[in-house]
Amino acid sequence: MVIQEDIMEGTEKIHLLMVDDEVKFLQTITERLKLKFFDITSATNGKEAIAAAEKGRFDVAVIDLQMPGIDGVQVLEILKKNHKYLEVLILSGHATIETAVTCTKLGAFKVLEKPCDFDKLVEAIKEAYETRLKKKFEHDEIRMKQIQALALGQSPLGILKELAKMDEAEK
Amino acid sequence: MNDALNNMNIENLKFFGKVNASISHELKNILAIISETAGFLNDLTELAKQGKELKLSLLENCSNSIAEEIQRGFTTIKQMNRFSHSVDVPVMDVDLLEILDLIIGLTGFLSFAGNVRIEDKDQKFEAITTCPFILQNLLYRILCFAYECAGPDGEIRLRLSPEKDKGILLTFLNSAQMPVEKFPDEKIKQTADLLGVEFKKNNSFYELNMLIPHTCDKIKELEKNQ
Repeated sequence: MVIQEDIMEGTEKIHLLMVDDEVKFLQTITERLKLKFFDITSATNGKEAIAAAEKGRFDVAVIDLQMPGIDGVQVLEILKKNHKYLEVLILSGHATIETAVTCTKLGAFKVLEKPCDFDKLVEAIKEAYETRLKKKFEHDEIRMKQIQALALGQSPLGILKELAKMDEAEK
Repeated sequence: MNDALNNMNIENLKFFGKVNASISHELKNILAIISETAGFLNDLTELAKQGKELKLSLLENCSNSIAEEIQRGFTTIKQMNRFSHSVDVPVMDVDLLEILDLIIGLTGFLSFAGNVRIEDKDQKFEAITTCPFILQNLLYRILCFAYECAGPDGEIRLRLSPEKDKGILLTFLNSAQMPVEKFPDEKIKQTADLLGVEFKKNNSFYELNMLIPHTCDKIKELEKNQ
């Protein structure tokens, strides 16, 4: 399932790393997110995800918990260690409180239960991205005020577009 | 003896729970794909309303994907049903190939499951009189041990050969070496003991051999009491 047309306006997009060993789920959710405001790289296992993160620059990673080989918890730990401003969302079919606590301790932004409502996922990515920018600009008072102002009265995608413009302008 | 039986009951209950959890995980994955595909169809509809070209091949892909996942769901539910009914009668005559087929399906839901196949599936074997649920527990544990040794890309072959007047010799052939000195562990040993299953000397680090008897005294006793 590949969509040829890029319906987004402008070039600033959120760079997402999607990791799931359930290939069809990964393909479909990737296509849906591409239709929104995201530039996506997908990986079907932990090893691929770590390699992709080394090569590319990602804003947010969405990682499935149960994967063969290097599992989601290990990927989370490695990505958080090696990529300072990367925020990580964990998707899990069986998220126990224990798992959620472990992931949170390792720096996961949120643990979401799978299947996850698509709008809730987009909202969580937005919040994660906002957090990433706050950490990145924590010593920049003007930027921080801009981020806080953006959070009021806009749709999640509208906020994301504005945040991405701000982030891109900084590069 | 009572302690050992209590432990065994707890282990069997844990096994039942573990398999059910893995089935529910599989069903969640299936529903997640159907849900995202339906969402994708809605997205495409919205784009079409805005005047974007709607590619028929995309619609076809989506409907095929939903149909495939529904089929996968049916297969999973069928396996769940077979597994659930395996506790109906404590002792019965079973076809070992059918039990292996079910266990391969059920272990396939585990994230670390590798490839597994039965050699020469057309062979015919005499039925064995056993406790199907405990035999499933035993085979599930051994297959998990083999998967963990093989890794996600490994392959396990199952070879069955009749042993005259004794039972069926089942060999697990692994593409990777196995720490055979650690096999069987205490839980596997206890489970095997209830079924009269005997572990044979392994010829290499790549294989595990077990003799599943046509029946045994413990099973006969259990059968008498059922």
